[in-house]
Amino acid sequence: MTDDVIATRARALAGALTESGFARLRIRDGETEIELRRSVRGAVAVAPAAGEAPANGAPAPAERRADVVASDVVGVVRFLRPPVTEGQELDTDRELAYVETLGIRNPVRSRGTGRIAAVLVNDGQPVEYGQPLFTVER
Amino acid sequence: MGAPRAKRVGGAEPGAERRLTMFKKVLIANRGEIALRINRACHELGVATVAIFSEADRNSLHVRYADEAFCVGPGPVVRSYLNVPNIISAALISGCDAIHPGYGFLAENARFAEIAADHGLTFIGPKPGVIAAMGDKATARRIMREAGVPTTPGSDIVASVDEARGIADGIGYPILLKATAGGGGKGMREVHRPEDLATAFATAQAEAEASFKDGRMYVEKLIVNPRHIEVQVLADEHGGVVHLGERDCSVQKPSHQKLIEEAPAPDFDPALRDRLHDIATTATRAVGYSNAGTLEFLVSGEQIYFMEMNTRIQVEHPVTELVYGVDLVKEQVRIAAGEPLGFSQDDMHPHGHAIEVRVNAEDPDHNFAPAAGTLTTVVFPGGPGIRVDTHVYGGALVPPFYDSMLAKIVAVGRTRESAILRMERALGETRIEGVKTTVEFCREVLADPEFRAGGIGVGWLPAYLTRRAQPV
Repeated sequence: MTDDVIATRARALAGALTESGFARLRIRDGETEIELRRSVRGAVAVAPAAGEAPANGAPAPAERRADVVASDVVGVVRFLRPPVTEGQELDTDRELAYVETLGIRNPVRSRGTGRIAAVLVNDGQPVEYGQPLFTVER
Repeated sequence: MGAPRAKRVGGAEPGAERRLTMFKKVLIANRGEIALRINRACHELGVATVAIFSEADRNSLHVRYADEAFCVGPGPVVRSYLNVPNIISAALISGCDAIHPGYGFLAENARFAEIAADHGLTFIGPKPGVIAAMGDKATARRIMREAGVPTTPGSDIVASVDEARGIADGIGYPILLKATAGGGGKGMREVHRPEDLATAFATAQAEAEASFKDGRMYVEKLIVNPRHIEVQVLADEHGGVVHLGERDCSVQKPSHQKLIEEAPAPDFDPALRDRLHDIATTATRAVGYSNAGTLEFLVSGEQIYFMEMNTRIQVEHPVTELVYGVDLVKEQVRIAAGEPLGFSQDDMHPHGHAIEVRVNAEDPDHNFAPAAGTLTTVVFPGGPGIRVDTHVYGGALVPPFYDSMLAKIVAVGRTRESAILRMERALGETRIEGVKTTVEFCREVLADPEFRAGGIGVGWLPAYLTRRAQPV
């Protein structure tokens, strides 16, 4: 699967995982298997499960994992200036945006280094608890 | 039977008129059947709705039926249905102009009502000061006593166990020690003998400190096996007050939770009933009340004692709706929007008799232990005179975090007997599988000759359970 497809599927599955209340969810689709794990903080990790091989038979990439960074409050998401963009490398744990709740600024952090695989919301968009905001490839 | 209808000023049917002041969008700060109930009332008024839900309730019907929905936190209530910043934020970002709290959760939280108002949101309920006054039991008793409402003999806050002893000696045992901040039986102890007072006082006070961070106690005479009779009132913000008769909620589990309620109270002296209704409206005016409220009384023989006022809609409100033909939740919304009551006391006429059974996910054979799990089969009854308020469906998950009530089945008939027969028929049609429920147990209670005779007290069901547990 391409990174884009992983990000899109991760977004859909993150909701399903959160809803289920399970800590781990494994989905098999043809030759691809995606496993999501929910951390205590509510973040969802996406990892290719054991046995996954690209359809063309090429060797699988050594390590690929995308974390969904979700909102833990209800509010309006505000991008920083300049805003985080897809493909951007994060060489340090940093603030990606913030969610404004009753005038209070709740920082959304990357929770580590990596690369922004997807920006899932627009600046100024209302967001709910647990809503995926970014995916970060580790 | 023909649906009774309260006449509104101007001759229009309830709900026909629309005022410019009506809300555009209401946030429903609750879950379960009451969230659906409020959603229905708002939609009938042409008001859009916003649901809130926890992660455990994502598939709940109240989420699907609302116009918009926001997840406000994970399953545990402290992080979701009691999460004030997330709830207020959801109301603001979705453009709501009012919040309906339902019952439980934040419904009697004066601070929440204040915070809503501070953010320009109308709290659909009484003013915060009234919620706070009625929420403090010793204060509520004092206000009622000063208004001439009879309360149980007892005291204001006592400073020490010695002062409590003096009061108890004066009014005579048995007594109840109660925490002024108390609720749900916490911080409350029955004391039958003077020698038990000191220990009971210490344990009740410690429990109140731990549960409510308020260890202030008062003393009340214990009324033995009274009836629990409550009066529904509606009051607008222009001084209009009406009562909608009484409900008898004497069928209570040993935990004091209600199980079967009915309106009107059976086998009840008409003069006593008139006096009760007068007391309720007097009390409502005395506290400067607005919106829907319920005054709970203990009735023992000819004696009426004020117990507490619930400043919200109650679980058992449908029995009143069915005999008075008034939509109490719509009235709540209208009153909060500033509308005057569309009817006076002379317009209010009860018709027939209604009875409600609470279908809980509980095991009656094991002290009503709550159950959680997946409902494999759900079939509710129908037909003439039956109303079912529920949020569950076949395949629905009952999460472990919340109240165990799955549904309220309500039956109405011309007489008490016809309502009970309908209820028995309806419970027979009900099929709920996957968790244990109170359906069969309630059917058994309805068939009991003592229940059928009417006029039982709150001690009746606990005694019935004791008898039932004895081997024959």
